[in-house]
Amino acid sequence: MQATLSKRINELLVLAVLEQGPAHGYQIALSVEERTGGAFSFQHGTLYPILHRLETNGHVRGTWGGEGRRRKTYELTDDGRAELAAGAAQLERQFRVLLELFGGTHAA
Amino acid sequence: MRPEHPLADVERSLAVPPRRRLDVLEEVDADAEALQAELERRGYGPAQARRAALRRVVPGTETLAQLEAQHAPPLGRWARGTGWIDRAERLGIFVATGLAGAVACITILGTGALGSAAVLAWPQVIVVALLAANWSRAAKRLWIDGDLRPELRRRLWERQIGLIVLAVALGALGAAREVWGAFGALEAEAFAPPAMWDAVGRIVSFAALGLSAAIFGLFGWLALTPRLIDDETMEHRISAFFASRLPPTPSRRR
Repeated sequence: MQATLSKRINELLVLAVLEQGPAHGYQIALSVEERTGGAFSFQHGTLYPILHRLETNGHVRGTWGGEGRRRKTYELTDDGRAELAAGAAQLERQFRVLLELFGGTHAA
Repeated sequence: MRPEHPLADVERSLAVPPRRRLDVLEEVDADAEALQAELERRGYGPAQARRAALRRVVPGTETLAQLEAQHAPPLGRWARGTGWIDRAERLGIFVATGLAGAVACITILGTGALGSAAVLAWPQVIVVALLAANWSRAAKRLWIDGDLRPELRRRLWERQIGLIVLAVALGALGAAREVWGAFGALEAEAFAPPAMWDAVGRIVSFAALGLSAAIFGLFGWLALTPRLIDDETMEHRISAFFASRLPPTPSRRR
């Protein structure tokens, strides 16, 4: 459950960054770190399986470019945009339930 | 001694088809370099920026396992998903043994191998089984694991060629032995026409068996060749990738 939730959050974080515009892998990693105030970060290349999975599922599109040296750029697809909206709404519901539960526990 | 590229270990460990391996290496390397530059721009020292960039982007053991699962060939992904991956080797052995059994039946019917010709016919059966097993190993590496490294590829190819030569030699020896026996019977004038046709049948069977085994070994390998050529091209590109990247040194821009 924890691994699944963490995986889901990471995917949504990547999609949220790409909603701002196309980016290279390292830019996505930096942006996630900055926008979450360091609460989330990708170490030891953990970003790549997430990106490749999202690419396979059609949520992002990877394009090779660059002169002389190949660089890969990712951009959000329409499917990815829909996935982000659905995923964010689902997470919000889950966290609201959790926070209510924790709030109740604290109050007790 | 020239220091090793930080991704050399990833290249050795990542068991995915070379085309995918090259993509991962190029993507990670370009990101590491750009991230280092970005961190330096933000005030990190060059060596510190390099370390931080590599720590973020170079895949660790767990990440490599995830990448392998993602980039395995479709058959490999299916095999992993259904649990057949552990049974693939056993299945290969089963197929090889079944094939050898079929060849054994043909041999017995065609050459009367339970008799005096057994000394050459049975090794032929074993050679066919070894050819099938060798081919299965290469095929499993290519289409299930997705990773057949040059060293192993060369060894398997040499073994295949050796077995093909052995199959032809055994076929030729068996046929020659039958010819010799037939001539012996002719000289002794104990050679009735039905026996002559029997001898001709055995000679043809031995020769055909050797030739069939060789064709099976050769065409089996030819079926792998397009993929092997593609892999080899990619392996050259991976070598060129490492050759073109001098060991990274901290930049002196600051």
